Amino acid sequence: MTTTLDRPAASSAAITKPRPTFRQRLNVFDVKASPYLYIAPFFILFALVGLFPLGYTFVVSLFDWHLLKGQGEFVGLQNFREVLQDRFFWNSLFNTMSIFLLSTIPQLVVAITIAAVLDQNLRARTFWRMSILLPYIVTPVAVAMIFANMFGEQYGLINNILGAVGIDPVLWMNETLPSHIAIATMVNWRWTGYNALILLAAMQAVPRDVYEAAAIDGARPLRRFFSITLPSIRPTMIFVVITATIGGLQIFTEPKLFDPRTAGGTARQFQTTVLYLWEMAFQRQNFGKAATIAWLLFIIIILFGILNWLISRRIATSGDSRNGGGPARRRRRKRSATPAVVLPAVGPQPPAPAADQPPEPPVETAGRPAGTTPRRGT
Amino acid sequence: MKISRLKKITALAGAASLAVVASGCGGANAEPAGADNPITLTVTTFGQFGYDDLYAEYEEQNPGVTIEANNVDGSANARTDAFTKLAAGSGLSDVVAVEEGWLGSIMEVSDQFVDLNEHGAADIKDNWVDWKFEQGTDPEGRVIGYGTDIGPQALCFNGDLFEAAGLPTDREEVAELFGGDDATWETYFDLGRQYNEATGKAWYDQSSFVWNSMVNQMDEGYYTADGELNIEGNEKMRAQFDLLAAGTADGLSANQKQFDWGNGKAFVDGSFAVHVCPAWMLGTIQEQLESAGGGPETGWDVADVFPGGASNWGGAFLSVPATSERPAEAAALAAWLTAPEQQVKQSAAANNFPSTLEAQAEIVETAKPNELFNDAPYGEIFASRAEGVIAQFKGPDDSVIQENVFAPALKMLDNGTGTADEAWDEAVTLLNDLVVNN
Repeated sequence: MTTTLDRPAASSAAITKPRPTFRQRLNVFDVKASPYLYIAPFFILFALVGLFPLGYTFVVSLFDWHLLKGQGEFVGLQNFREVLQDRFFWNSLFNTMSIFLLSTIPQLVVAITIAAVLDQNLRARTFWRMSILLPYIVTPVAVAMIFANMFGEQYGLINNILGAVGIDPVLWMNETLPSHIAIATMVNWRWTGYNALILLAAMQAVPRDVYEAAAIDGARPLRRFFSITLPSIRPTMIFVVITATIGGLQIFTEPKLFDPRTAGGTARQFQTTVLYLWEMAFQRQNFGKAATIAWLLFIIIILFGILNWLISRRIATSGDSRNGGGPARRRRRKRSATPAVVLPAVGPQPPAPAADQPPEPPVETAGRPAGTTPRRGT
Repeated sequence: MKISRLKKITALAGAASLAVVASGCGGANAEPAGADNPITLTVTTFGQFGYDDLYAEYEEQNPGVTIEANNVDGSANARTDAFTKLAAGSGLSDVVAVEEGWLGSIMEVSDQFVDLNEHGAADIKDNWVDWKFEQGTDPEGRVIGYGTDIGPQALCFNGDLFEAAGLPTDREEVAELFGGDDATWETYFDLGRQYNEATGKAWYDQSSFVWNSMVNQMDEGYYTADGELNIEGNEKMRAQFDLLAAGTADGLSANQKQFDWGNGKAFVDGSFAVHVCPAWMLGTIQEQLESAGGGPETGWDVADVFPGGASNWGGAFLSVPATSERPAEAAALAAWLTAPEQQVKQSAAANNFPSTLEAQAEIVETAKPNELFNDAPYGEIFASRAEGVIAQFKGPDDSVIQENVFAPALKMLDNGTGTADEAWDEAVTLLNDLVVNN
């Protein structure tokens, strides 16, 4: 508005550089600012429900804060000191890690296997694919209740079956390792199918001609799986591992409902960190320490995230790390589109089997190409 | 599993701060409810409360009042629900049921509840047995809860199993067997050993219920009357603990999971022969038997006797949180629901025992014998068991001590993984870690 006063000056300037019209300025504004406006809703929401609570939790963790009585004295990092010396906190971390390892590793192995099977030319393909996703649809509460029932020590189905074949009942709830196995079973049951589908999608993106070429060169199915399939789905594997890690470190529902009367077993046999946080907040009513545990868990998850990222970067660049970071990264993105990455791995192979067993390749390539490497319509 | 609990807990903290802003907008609405000024009252109860028909009746008698009822599945979850909402500063119903076990925590923040004296508590004070009314009164004399039911304890026993072990089965003879008015825990455990010798089976389901009963009947439990912790160096408590430990070591505990019992199968398959029964436990057992497909033929019965004398376990209160926008109407509803007439109906619907004198007297007269428990004269037995019950001071961490301190120690005994000394030491260690140095 004030510029109207300077009109003469402005109009003289317009001779050298024409004053942009309102439309033009709007256009510039549109190009420069609109993208930020488009993404703003997410970031505003994130700040409200993510960032603010995160910061507020940290504030709470610095106080003596009773669940019902509210804010007490400022204690600085005292809560962190005490939680880090708390044997139950370390116990809960151990349990979390143990359940995490017991669930993630078998889960990935089985999920990859299932995905590989589903990647074959099966009849009623959609039926099988949907079937493995079924456990994921069932609410975790129902899963936990059914499994807690099955793993019951005196009346559970599993101990009944074990008893029928003369094996002593396993104390699924009172002993640490069995309880971890039982909980890991629930997690695996629920997530294996989901991960298998994601891995299957990745496997389907691997061009079939690579398989055909390998088959012609004499690579047998197992070899093709390890040398073509696995390296090609590496980025997806990393995604699955990261989500499994974050989920695994935050596991709550399954151990809570495995024995709903307690916070993770009578003697904390399967008390995970989040469950300990819950006990601290709602049973012991120490909100300050609960916030501390939340923050420590947050830090641990971040550390795991960084570790994951480092490892995955190593894996992803291992093929061409000598070429330097920048270009390698760009190339990596291309990899998902083209199978260039698998070629170095496949490259050295064909000569070996061909040299070892000359009569084999013809049989392989003649008998199976159509069956093993079909091109999917999807 | 993938939901961020961290976010939840932080959101909760955030909600607490927002609530400070929100509570400024509340304020009681002075205009009385009526057909032309309809209001909605929310009520949160837990477990088996037997209020459904009463809500309908109240709505009929008070045009314009709509009751929105919410029932949480058990006392422990009701506690979490209430604590969360108290911490958040919003979300509590107009009328909230509070269990005796966590009343101590609520008393710590009694100023967050409406003083029912402002709504005529003094006029109906004499309805209740003294100690129940006192329990609902905070140290400053504010009444924050009207008593609903109480949990006088009798002894449930399984007649069929008693018969098989050569013990008497008539409920009066059984009461005599345990020592009648002078029944002691020593006799209880000796009979258990006798039973165990005859049948090889366990006597009670698990140790912690027996322990709760023992502690509840002491003059001072986990806390002294002054609110000091009363566990370490408490010789009387330790003696009871040793008594229980010795019994469990002799195989008298069936090591069942409490409130689970294999979905009730343990009540049907003869795993144990006696059970400590506060009045509300009959409702719990009924539920268990139903889920396991058992009925009166399972042989359960209840005797007018309890080892160590009168004992009370549990019972609830109806409170009106300060956040209620309709405190007057909510208090009126709470008073109506806990009035003798309604308590009689509640008792019939939910199998619990009323806390008002008039209702107790009426139950003795009119309550139907309990078919499931061999036609036991329910009202008579529990009225007799309610005599001599004293109110024990419940401290702020009573439920933590019961569930997180003693339950693990007693489980050691049940599992046979520790001696009496080891289990007691474990309890003391846990007490120091979880309560003293919390």
